[in-house]
Amino acid sequence: MRHFKRVVGLKLSRIVELIINSVLLAGLYATMAYGLGLIYGVLRIVNLAHGGVIMAGAYAGWYLHELGVDPYLSLVPVGVASFFLGVVMYRGLVYRLPRGAAGGVQSLLLLFGLWLILRNIAYLLFTGNDQTLRTGYSTKAVTLAGELVSVNRMAVFAVAILILIILHILLTQTYVGKAIRAVAQNPDSCTLVGIRVERIYSLTFGLGTALAAIAGLLGATLFPFNPGFGSSELLKSFVVVVLGGLGSVAGTAIAALILAVAEVFPTAIPGFPTYLTAAVGFVLLVLVLVLRPGGLFGQRVLG
Amino acid sequence: MLEVRAIDAAYGDVQVLSGLSLQVQEKEIVTLLGSNGAGKTTTLRCITGLLAPRKGEVTFKNQPLSKVAASERAGLGIALVPEGRELWPQLTVRENLELGAYDKRSRARAAQNLDRVHAMFPRLLERRSQVAGSLSGGEQQMCAIGRALMSEPSLLLLDEPSLGLAPIVVEQVFEVIRSLHASGMTILLVEQNLAAALEIATRGYVIETGQVKLSGSASELKADPKIRAAYLGL
Repeated sequence: MRHFKRVVGLKLSRIVELIINSVLLAGLYATMAYGLGLIYGVLRIVNLAHGGVIMAGAYAGWYLHELGVDPYLSLVPVGVASFFLGVVMYRGLVYRLPRGAAGGVQSLLLLFGLWLILRNIAYLLFTGNDQTLRTGYSTKAVTLAGELVSVNRMAVFAVAILILIILHILLTQTYVGKAIRAVAQNPDSCTLVGIRVERIYSLTFGLGTALAAIAGLLGATLFPFNPGFGSSELLKSFVVVVLGGLGSVAGTAIAALILAVAEVFPTAIPGFPTYLTAAVGFVLLVLVLVLRPGGLFGQRVLG
Repeated sequence: MLEVRAIDAAYGDVQVLSGLSLQVQEKEIVTLLGSNGAGKTTTLRCITGLLAPRKGEVTFKNQPLSKVAASERAGLGIALVPEGRELWPQLTVRENLELGAYDKRSRARAAQNLDRVHAMFPRLLERRSQVAGSLSGGEQQMCAIGRALMSEPSLLLLDEPSLGLAPIVVEQVFEVIRSLHASGMTILLVEQNLAAALEIATRGYVIETGQVKLSGSASELKADPKIRAAYLGL
């Protein structure tokens, strides 16, 4: 009996630890997925350059840190700069492609090409070596619910949640946010009431790009990265978007949590090979596409 | 107020309008009649700017519209209630109405106009927090009309407002159009329901294969033997 109690006690604290880890990871996943989902929901374009922008955000944060800027202070300038990068990508390239179903392949190829260019620029500038962004608080931890939790991971989570709240307020409480949602549902009706649809497209592409870069910067404080960083993040973003449907902030958050739980919990199984963690996303993606192709919460688009 | 002068319009290679002309004077209610595919909706698309005419010109309050972007035309006072309503189905009724006043000119008076629309359609106030896609057909039509009114238009274009609605709801919609006209609104009404349209209109145009075939006052058109035979089944 006493032996049994000890096992359960151990398990409980282990479970608490796993839950904390999952929740903290989910914040980052939700931020990076929301950028991809927003662009797809409004423009019907799969932004394959998303992974490249995540990588660029990581290097931007790292580079600024080398210059002595704290990564959390870099969030604002990196966010603003990548917003304008997204606007330029849209106006300079995506805007010129054919629209609708006919334009699907062209935009995929173009944005994939853009990703390759971003990646090779990074190889050229920073070589292929792994980099890490180490700050004075990278190894600090506090006790939360009896568990040691990294201060930096909590900060990443807090920033991610703050960004999602701001996005939610923007999309539901402001004229321009409502216009973004309306354009996703019926662009012609938007033109009729005086919404400049092309402007909304530019703005949305900029917002999605900024979210990707911010997620990359936050990710850089957690994981080592190289110019190939962003590919598995793109995949994870896909999983979250497919799971959570398009546009609903809450749906994205729940889907991000599901992915994080699915990745984190198996690590508690003794002998579970860590390299399989990367496969969890794929398995989840396939399961959802087969069982619930409309996503867990149906087909709502920015509702 | 509105003048459409000899416009040609096409979708790709398919010519839809050829040399169509019509006029709407201030405070008139003019109806545009014709069968499916005659070019009624296309005419409205040329007026709102969703489609650019290949030839000819549209002028509004003596201003040529060829250089005015479609998204600027709401600001000039042109509003369309599109065929099939075309609401934003996953936005709430309230949000649909609010976005009707997106244009800067009308945004300042959005709250006041929202009250006006709610007074006109109390149903929309009751259902303000519901998504528009969950409304009945008649309620959706009310919402689409309300959205158009939110921009305080001086010219209201209505495309088949009775389409797909139960007869009793059709009557309500026509009653609304009549009262809008009575309050001084200029209206261009596209309808397949000729009898009902000619009841409330002052003048009408009958178009066939992209051209005006007949025009005249509502009573003239009602009395015209060709119309009686072809459209009214008399």
